[in-house]
Amino acid sequence: MVRGETAVALALFALLALTPGAIDGYPIYILPQYLLFGVLAMSLGLLWGWGAIVSFGQAAFFAIGAYGMGLAMQAGLGAWGGYAGIVCGALAGGLLAAVAGYFLFSAGVKSTYFVLITLALSIIVEQLAVSQSEITGGYNGLFVDRMVVPLGPFGELPLSGDIASYYAVLVVVPLLYFALVALTRSSFGKILVGIRENEDRMTALGYNVSFYKTAAFTLSGALAGLAGALYATHAGFVSPSLAGVTFSTEVVVWVAIGGRLSLLGALAGGVLVSALSNYLSSISPQYWQLALGFIFILVIMFSRDGLAGAVAALARRLTGRRGAARSADASDGEARHG
Amino acid sequence: MAELLRTEGLTKRFRGLTANANIDFRIEAGTVRCVIGPNGAGKTTFLSMLSGHQPPSAGRIFYDGRDITALPVIARARIGIGRKFQTPTVFDNLTVHENIELSVLRVEPDRIARARKIEQVLEAVRLGDQRSVLAVELSHGQRQWLEVGLLLGNESRLLLLDEPTAGMTSEETAATGHLISRLAGELGLTIIIIEHDINFIRALRSPVTVLHLGKVLMEGSFDEVASNPTVRAVYLGTAT
Repeated sequence: MVRGETAVALALFALLALTPGAIDGYPIYILPQYLLFGVLAMSLGLLWGWGAIVSFGQAAFFAIGAYGMGLAMQAGLGAWGGYAGIVCGALAGGLLAAVAGYFLFSAGVKSTYFVLITLALSIIVEQLAVSQSEITGGYNGLFVDRMVVPLGPFGELPLSGDIASYYAVLVVVPLLYFALVALTRSSFGKILVGIRENEDRMTALGYNVSFYKTAAFTLSGALAGLAGALYATHAGFVSPSLAGVTFSTEVVVWVAIGGRLSLLGALAGGVLVSALSNYLSSISPQYWQLALGFIFILVIMFSRDGLAGAVAALARRLTGRRGAARSADASDGEARHG
Repeated sequence: MAELLRTEGLTKRFRGLTANANIDFRIEAGTVRCVIGPNGAGKTTFLSMLSGHQPPSAGRIFYDGRDITALPVIARARIGIGRKFQTPTVFDNLTVHENIELSVLRVEPDRIARARKIEQVLEAVRLGDQRSVLAVELSHGQRQWLEVGLLLGNESRLLLLDEPTAGMTSEETAATGHLISRLAGELGLTIIIIEHDINFIRALRSPVTVLHLGKVLMEGSFDEVASNPTVRAVYLGTAT
């Protein structure tokens, strides 16, 4: 958590809320999708930054959530299909993560092996999406309608328009962000930090480390599934490549560039890097990944903690509070990890 | 006095090497015991079997009247067995306050009671003024205290201290002695200490168990042990 991050986050969300007044067209259409990629990035940021768990399987949860939304929308639930899709997406992502996490963490699988197994998870989900074509549409993918938001006595709000869709996502994303920030400051977040810092010590203090890791992974999977569900209804189309190795790796790159020790950094990384990828691939279909690779290396060379780490270091220098991290009240626990 | 911990025939073999052989050990609640012996006597192995970090090859461990031989580390921690390792094992990149908080968190869900308990522990281990300092920046002696603080924070009843005064100044060593006496005397904690510092052991005035080649060589008061010719010979390396 970077000091002053909340204020920066509020300012950025306010800026996003004002954006449709200044510009319209393609950016307003595409920004919500980038923001949902940002949520996907936060789902990894929570794991990586707080639990030191690197997962290359976030795309698998995202894709499962997306397919969940697609299938729920086709289930004939009318206006409630969207809500059902969100719930299905989050549950499916969470359930897959819970099952995988339970077996991996209780068996003590760590670091490199965990990366490899979660990578395999993405491949499995991608292959299932291809092979189960009666359900998923195989390579042809699945078309998904924009959801309708039932508002009880106030009627229904269809999200078919880009502005309505934009604001719906802009309500959800800050809510998720602040909920995650609260989580990282809770006892659960502190215990995750303890596990990140010294797993053996936590065990010797009587903490069930694999339980907490599994819980964090489940939550992360549910969040990625939720982002996937919203993405599906916004983008209107789901295909197997959403679960692929390439996309899974991209999520890790977003978080590394944005800054794994800051949720806002991860969110911004997801938005900015996916926007940049989109732009680069439109000007150079062959070399955009190479260019992105160079940017990745440059950022990590100059700031191991990504853009959020660089911004926090700069802010400390400007305000002349280099030692602020240390003299800050320890109980609020937010200063050092920037 | 009530017995808190007992071992029967505790044995640990590493392939050909017998690190602990048939150790019968017993300690009463609220008392302090020093375990001494030359390098390779099997002291740390013994402690590791008590804390659950090493499974015994044979023998049994009873804690509070219950057979805990098969319990894993986490379960032993939850019934009050806390271990301070030879190299201080704390949360290096967290502050002193955050370290203690992580320990108290498991046993004290209430926020206000937790804050109070953290303060008590900080005071007990004399780290109140260092609360905002990262653990990695503490002196070696302070890191030892911090780790003892972690054991106090989660309400351990049996403290297993592996070389608690290593790297301490003589002033810090004396303070550690006072702390240990107070923990046993006032809080009724039971403490097993592995130590090399003879002056520290003498000042503690607690019974001493001497290990040699994985076996209990003798038990007794410091004076008895120190005047025993076999023990002296062992330390000089002439005994067989």
